[in-house]
Amino acid sequence: MAEVKVKKETNLSDATEVENRIKQLCQQFPHGITDQVIQNDMPQLEPQQRAMAINKLLSLGQLDLLRNSSGLLYRMKDVQSASKMKGSDNQEKLVYQVIEDAGNKGSKTWIIHMPVRCASKKKVYMLYNLQPDRSVTGGAWYSDQDFESEFVEVLNQQCFKFLQSKAEVARDSKQSPMVQRNSSFATSHEVWKYISELGISKVDLSMDDIETILNTLIYDGKVEMTVIAAKEGTVGSVDGQMKLYRGVNPVIQPTGLVRTPCGLCPVFDDCHEGGEISPSNCIYMTEWLDF
Amino acid sequence: MTAQEVRLCGLLLREHFGEVVEKVGTHLLKGGAQNLRTIIHETGISLDLVKKSLCVLVQHGACVFRSGRKGAGSPTEYQTCCDRILRILRYPRYIYTAKTLYGDTGELIIEELLQRGHMTMSGTIKTVADRLTQNMEEGRSMDYSEVSSAFFRLVETHFLQRCPPLAGAEPKDSATPAAPSFPDCYKVPHVTLVGRGKRQLASEDGEDQRNAKKAKMDSQVGTHGDEGICWQVNFERFHLHFRDQAIISAVANKLDQTSSEIVRTMLRMSEVTTSPTATCTKPLSANEIFRSLPTSYNIPRPILDQYLTLLIDDPMEFVGKAGESGGGMYVVNMHRALANLARATLESVVQERFGSRSARIFRLLLRKRHLEQKQVEDFAMIPAKEAKDMLYTLLSQNLVQLQEIPKTPDYAPSRTFYLYTVNQLPTARMLLQNCYKTVANLVERRLFESKESKRLLEKSQRIEAILASLQASGAEPEQLTEVEEMITAPEKQQLEALRLHINKLDSAENQVDETIFLLESYINSTASTS
Repeated sequence: MAEVKVKKETNLSDATEVENRIKQLCQQFPHGITDQVIQNDMPQLEPQQRAMAINKLLSLGQLDLLRNSSGLLYRMKDVQSASKMKGSDNQEKLVYQVIEDAGNKGSKTWIIHMPVRCASKKKVYMLYNLQPDRSVTGGAWYSDQDFESEFVEVLNQQCFKFLQSKAEVARDSKQSPMVQRNSSFATSHEVWKYISELGISKVDLSMDDIETILNTLIYDGKVEMTVIAAKEGTVGSVDGQMKLYRGVNPVIQPTGLVRTPCGLCPVFDDCHEGGEISPSNCIYMTEWLDF
Repeated sequence: MTAQEVRLCGLLLREHFGEVVEKVGTHLLKGGAQNLRTIIHETGISLDLVKKSLCVLVQHGACVFRSGRKGAGSPTEYQTCCDRILRILRYPRYIYTAKTLYGDTGELIIEELLQRGHMTMSGTIKTVADRLTQNMEEGRSMDYSEVSSAFFRLVETHFLQRCPPLAGAEPKDSATPAAPSFPDCYKVPHVTLVGRGKRQLASEDGEDQRNAKKAKMDSQVGTHGDEGICWQVNFERFHLHFRDQAIISAVANKLDQTSSEIVRTMLRMSEVTTSPTATCTKPLSANEIFRSLPTSYNIPRPILDQYLTLLIDDPMEFVGKAGESGGGMYVVNMHRALANLARATLESVVQERFGSRSARIFRLLLRKRHLEQKQVEDFAMIPAKEAKDMLYTLLSQNLVQLQEIPKTPDYAPSRTFYLYTVNQLPTARMLLQNCYKTVANLVERRLFESKESKRLLEKSQRIEAILASLQASGAEPEQLTEVEEMITAPEKQQLEALRLHINKLDSAENQVDETIFLLESYINSTASTS
């Protein structure tokens, strides 16, 4: 008996047939098929018809469009996500994909997922089931878009008190000056442990957070910092270094100028003899003299 | 010479020398070098008075004269510089320093020289001896030799110096009359001065005349061999002393007493070897320092080394290491210390005037040099709205500047970086002018308060004079109380309040002068190193 090649006759003018064939090919090759594969399978298919079919499948959300080094790839979409997408339109689908790709960093667009508190004015949305990244939420210092300045102040004061008392203890120990200075230092790890044990924070604070607080103390002029080399593995060391902080005394008393009313006067520039505001009729001076 | 400086100089001249000298002085300050005829013509004051005013100014070193610019034959030109006049503000500090270093004798010597401007050594010694005798008990008097030795000590340590020789027409082109350190500047002439101070007695007229005649004859007979050699106070030396004091007290505040003693020793050792404009002292070896420490500080050698290491490691950089020989060579970084003190002064002003959070922003900008608005908010941990407000306030007061860095050549605001920055030197200059204005305000207020109560002050002075004369002639207690009661109780209160006000204003002037000194030293030190 002669072999009869049974060719699956595809009615080329039937778009649905083409689409189904392409879907079958995709299922055959789960890693994705290229244009070339489709062409080989249906050589009589015009490129235009092929493109139309592919676009239809894409818009229906049944095909995934990917790119690899050699060209475009079409892959069967995951049934679950395909069904999810049935109701949404093209734009939403694209956006959804971008969001998913962005992972937990979120992205700035306009869909209907959970809005996330954020440090800037921009609204950020991300997938509901992911945890927002620190840089987006503003970290431990923000709660519901408000910068918690009292919380920062409290931490600031607590850190300073800790460092100050450590310095006092070192001073009173009356040992040699080098030992005194070294024992008045506290590593950022020690401060972090102290603050965590105090339990004044409902949010977990990392060592980086504590370091930002300690930096504000440096800018207040109350604390100084040095960096020392530390062995890897020592508690609190980062990249072979440790930051040490120490409470310091101010180098001068408030300067002479600010002890006079003129030093603090809000209308200093408007004051001159013979004018409406002058030293002779200055009310700030009168108050200060009668103090 | 800024307007504020001229205003302050005018007030100081008026208080110390009167209104005529004030007019002539301010005219010279504003107008530069002028000859006699121009001064007379433009101020409208008579020739006689102008001559006297110029004499006073020259006597005190506030005015220099030289031959005119047009050539050898043109009339002499006179020029004033406000620096010297502003020193008048610091007289109390000089006198107090002399008192702490050399006792009452030193104090009076400096006071006399400051009041008179120039004086011969013999004249000074005699006057001071008389003044000291006045305050001693009956029958005791001050010997000239004691006063002479105090004078010698002051000259040895360069607190006093000879006046520069008055050459006829020195073709000097220098605009400022700097006190040149010529040879023989500190050479004490051989003076024969033997005697004791004379007590001034409240004698009757006849006796007075006899005494006056006797005194005249004395001065003619006793030429002491130092005519024409006048002495003046060396302000620069006092300023070096103040600068050392500021550095020592800063070390004491920041570290501890022992460290400040070590720095004091180092500064004392390099007093004579370091030039006034040097940025740091000559290197001193640790061995030398150890030997020169005061005996009361009995610290072992290794501990001294530890203290020195701590001084070097301190971020303020008071002391630096210059080598390893002799156990380690150390220098005191004076320029750096002054810069740090000036910075602390600026921070203190911002803190007291605008609050501690603005001070945080200010210190942040000083450290990080240039920052964007967002970065300022993040580093300082201040909410955005408040941080913006504080930055704009500081910007409007010119304490903070804005630096534009364009991304495109057209400086479009949306494509430009705006960075906030603090420039320490210009800010210090601005604050210095504010200090001058503040002192002028305080002086004016003081004069105003005195003027308000002039009538009352005169009345109280009259009553005091009456009381004194009554007491001297032995009046009865009832008469005294009767006179005392001429001042009513509310008037007494008013007088007391006035006295308190004037004292407060006076001490405030001295406090602001301390700030002026720090800022001026920093500005001069930066100018001479750059």
